[in-house]
Amino acid sequence: MSETTTHIPEEKARIGAPSIPGFTEEGEDLSPINDNTSSPLGGSAAKAHSHGGGVGVPDSSRAGRLTSYNVDDFAKLTGREEDWRFTPLKRIKGLHTDELTGAAPKVELTGSDVVTLSEVPADDVLNGIAHTPDDRVSANGWKYATTSQVVTIPKNAEGEKATLRITGESLEAAAQHIIVVAEENSEATVVLDHVGSAVLAQNVEFDVRPNARLTVVSLQAWEDDSVHASSQQALVAAGASFKHVAVTFGGDLVRVNPSARFTGERAEVELYGLYFADAGQHLEHRLFVDHAVANCKSNVLYKGALQGKDAHTVWVGDVLIQKAAVGTDSYEANRNLVLTDGARADSVPNLEIETGLIDGAGHASTTGRFDDEHLFYLMARGIDEKTARRLVVRGFLNEIVQQIGDEALQERLTDTIESELAATDN
Amino acid sequence: MTDQIAQESADPGVISEILEKNPELQGIGNYEYGWADKDVAGANARRGIDKDVVANISALKSEPEWMLDIRQKALKYFDRKPMPTWGPDLSGIDFDNIKYFVRSTEKQATSWEDLPEDIKNTYDKLGIPEAEKQALVSGVAAQYESEVVYHQLREDLERQGVIFLDTDTGLKEHPEIFQEYFGSVIPAGDNKFASLNTAAWSGGSFVYVPKGVHVEIPLQAYFRINTENMGQFERTLIIADEGSYVHYIEGCTAPVYKSDSLHSAVVEIIVKKNARVRYTTIQNWSNNVYNLVTKRAVCEEGATMEWVDGNIGSKVTMKYPAVYLVGEHAKGETLSIAFAGADQHQDTGSKMVHIAPNTSSAIVAKSVARNGGRSAYRGLVQVREGAKGTKNSVVCDALLVDQISRSDTYPYIDVREDDVTMGHEATVSRVSEEQLFYLQSRGLAEDEAMAMIVRGFVEPIARELPMEYALELNRLIELQMEGSVG
Repeated sequence: MSETTTHIPEEKARIGAPSIPGFTEEGEDLSPINDNTSSPLGGSAAKAHSHGGGVGVPDSSRAGRLTSYNVDDFAKLTGREEDWRFTPLKRIKGLHTDELTGAAPKVELTGSDVVTLSEVPADDVLNGIAHTPDDRVSANGWKYATTSQVVTIPKNAEGEKATLRITGESLEAAAQHIIVVAEENSEATVVLDHVGSAVLAQNVEFDVRPNARLTVVSLQAWEDDSVHASSQQALVAAGASFKHVAVTFGGDLVRVNPSARFTGERAEVELYGLYFADAGQHLEHRLFVDHAVANCKSNVLYKGALQGKDAHTVWVGDVLIQKAAVGTDSYEANRNLVLTDGARADSVPNLEIETGLIDGAGHASTTGRFDDEHLFYLMARGIDEKTARRLVVRGFLNEIVQQIGDEALQERLTDTIESELAATDN
Repeated sequence: MTDQIAQESADPGVISEILEKNPELQGIGNYEYGWADKDVAGANARRGIDKDVVANISALKSEPEWMLDIRQKALKYFDRKPMPTWGPDLSGIDFDNIKYFVRSTEKQATSWEDLPEDIKNTYDKLGIPEAEKQALVSGVAAQYESEVVYHQLREDLERQGVIFLDTDTGLKEHPEIFQEYFGSVIPAGDNKFASLNTAAWSGGSFVYVPKGVHVEIPLQAYFRINTENMGQFERTLIIADEGSYVHYIEGCTAPVYKSDSLHSAVVEIIVKKNARVRYTTIQNWSNNVYNLVTKRAVCEEGATMEWVDGNIGSKVTMKYPAVYLVGEHAKGETLSIAFAGADQHQDTGSKMVHIAPNTSSAIVAKSVARNGGRSAYRGLVQVREGAKGTKNSVVCDALLVDQISRSDTYPYIDVREDDVTMGHEATVSRVSEEQLFYLQSRGLAEDEAMAMIVRGFVEPIARELPMEYALELNRLIELQMEGSVG
C-alpha cells in the first residue's frame, strides 16, 4: 500500500497511512463525468444564490427549483450542478448552448379516428398549459420551437389508442414542442414513438383534465447517434389518472424527465420506466411527482438493465409531498440489473415530506446482478445457462412491459429486449 | 440552571411537574447545560480568520513548520470553496464574526485540583468528576474552550501502550505519527468546513491502539463550547493498529447563547487489518449551534468500522460519517438517529465507499421530526469498479408525529460493478391513531403513549449504546416528546 503514492500529489509518501484510490488533496471528485477544467471550483455552488430559490433553498430540493420560460434565467451549465452532474455535457451536442434551428423530427399520428393532431404557433394559448421548463435545455428547446404539435383526445372518448411517430432525420440540433390534451372524462393510450436520428431538445406537456384517464408510452428507440433531452410534464386534475411509461433503448445520450403535478384531489399517477443500456450509452431518467393537493396517490417503478463497458444509467426520482397534501399515498422504487462489468448505475430515490398526515410514503432502490437462485432453479430444470439468463432478465423487465397494455407494442419491446440480450452473448 | 434558560423549553410549569413525577429527569431537565460561565477567556480573542490568525494559532501552540504549512494551505482551500448549497440553510453563519482560537488556561493541568475554579465549576455541572469515579469510565479528555485542559488516563491503558491524548499534545509528543496520518483520510481541501477545521483546528482527541490490544472500556471525551460566537474546531485522530479494538465515545453539550455558534470538527479514523473501531456520538448542542462535521474512516483488510451517531441538539447539523472500504472483507456500519424539533434541521446520513472486493456495509437511519423540525437522510453508497462481491443495505425510517414537520430522504447509490447486492428501503410513517388508542386504552396518557411509540421506534439504535447513553437518550426522548400532543 505504501507504494501507491501517485494518488496523493504534492504530499510526501505516507508510510503505513492508508491511501484511498481516487483521492487528491481536495478529497474526491464527486462529478467525474464532467471535467472541470476551467476552475477548480466551478458549478452552481460557486455562483451560489445567483438564481433559483436563492439563499436557503438547497439545490437538491425540488420545492426550490427554478422554473422559467426564459432560457437566460438559467445559469450556463458547468456540469457540476446537482441535476446535471451525472450527464456528460460533452456529448449533449450543444442542446444547452446552441441555437436549435435544425429541422424538428417529423410527426405522424396513426391508430385512431377520434384522436386528432394539429399544429399551433408558439404563441398559442395552449403553450405552457401544463409545462414550465425547469432546466436550461428545456428552456432552450422552448425558445427555439416555432410551432407546437397538439394531440387532442376529445371529451368522453373511450379506449382510444393512438401512436405519434416521431422520426428524426437530421443530426442538426433541433427543438420540438408537443402538447397532449386529454379532455374531460376521456380514456386513451398515446404512444410517442421516437425513431431515427436526432439531436433534440423536446418539451412535452400533458393536460389531464378532470376524470380523464391517460396512458402515455414514451418510447425512445433512436439510432445510436441520437441525443435526446425530453422534459415531459403533466398536470393531473381532480379524479383523473395518468400513467406514463418511459421506455428507453436507443440513442447515445437520452435524458427523459417525466413529471406530474396534482391539481385536484382523488387523482392518481403511475410512472413506470424501462431502460436497457449498452456499452457507451448514457440513459438518464429524472422524474418528479408533486403532491400539491390532498388525497392523491402515486406509484413509481423503474427497472433497468445494463451491459457493456461504460454503459451508464441514472435514475433520480423526486417525490415531494407538500404541506397541503394530507392523505397522500406514495411509493417509488428503482431496480437495476447490472449484467456485465464496466457498467454503472446511479440511483437516487429522493423523498421530501412536509406533512405527517399521510397514508403512507416509501421508496426503495436495489441494484444487483442475476439472482443466482433463479438461475439455479431454471438450470435444474434442464434449461441451459444462456437461456436461463435471458429468461431471468425478461422476467425482470416484463413487469414494466405489462403495464403498457398494447399487445403489438409489448411484442415489439419483448423483441427488442431479446435482441439486446443476444448482443451480450457476442 | 439559573439565569440562562434554554429558549426551546416548554412551559416551566409542565416541566416542573414532570420533574416531580420523575426525579431521575432532574439531571437532564430544562436544557441542563444551558448556563454559561462568565466569558473571560473569550473576551479578547480576535474575530475572523486570515493568514495571521492561522499563523498565530500555530505559533501559540509551538507547532512544527509542516503543520503551519498544512494550515495555511487549508485556509486557501477554505477561501476558495463555496458554501455548500445542496443541504440546509447555512446563511446564518458569519465567518468574520467567529473567534477561531480561544485559550482558557496557559498550560495543561495534570490533576483536577490544578484546574481554574470556573472551569472546575463547569465540569462539576457536567458531572465529569462523578463520571471519572465510575469504573466504567476510563480516560476523560475534557475539552474546554478549544484546548484540552484536563486529561487522565487509567494506568492500565498506558501499560498496554494505548495513547489517549488531546490532539495538541499528541502532535507534540508523536509528531512522526501525525505527519504520517494527519489529513490522510480527510485531506486539507476535502470540503469547505474540513478546510476551515484544518486551518484552525485546536483540541480534540488523539488515540493510538497498538497491535492486538483490546481496549475493554470505552474511551470518553467531553466537549464544550463556552465562548460566545466561538467556533470549536476540534480534530480527532484515531489509529487502531492491526487486530486491535477500541470504542470511542464523544458526547457534546453547550450552553445556550443568543447569537449563532459554529462547531466544525474533523474526525479521522484509520482501522488497520482486522482491527475494529466503534465511534459513538450523542450530539446535544444547544439549538443555536451550526454543527458541520466531517467524519471518515478507512478500513483495511478484514477491518470493521462502526459509527453510532445520535443527533438531538443543534440548529443545523450536517454530518455523514463515512467508511472507505479499501481492504478485502472490510466492513462498515452506521447506526444513526436524529431528532428534529422546532427550528432544527438535522441533515444526517452516511457514506459507504466500496473500493475493495467482498466488502460489506449497512446503514440503518432513523429520524423523528416534530414541532416544525426538519430531518433528512442523505447518504451515498458507492461501489467502485473492481469491488466485486459487495454487499450493502440501507434502511431508513422516518417518523412524523405532527403535520408541520418535515422529513426528506436523499439516498445516492452509485454502482460500477455487476457482482453486487444492494438495497435501499425507506418508509415514512406517522404515529397511527390505532397505536395511540391501544396504549391509551391500557391507561397511558397520550403524551406517554407517544413517547413510548417513539422509544420503540428508536430502540434498535438505543440498544447499541452504552447503558448510560441509552438511558440519557430515552430521557431526552421523553422530554422531546413532552407537549408534542394536542
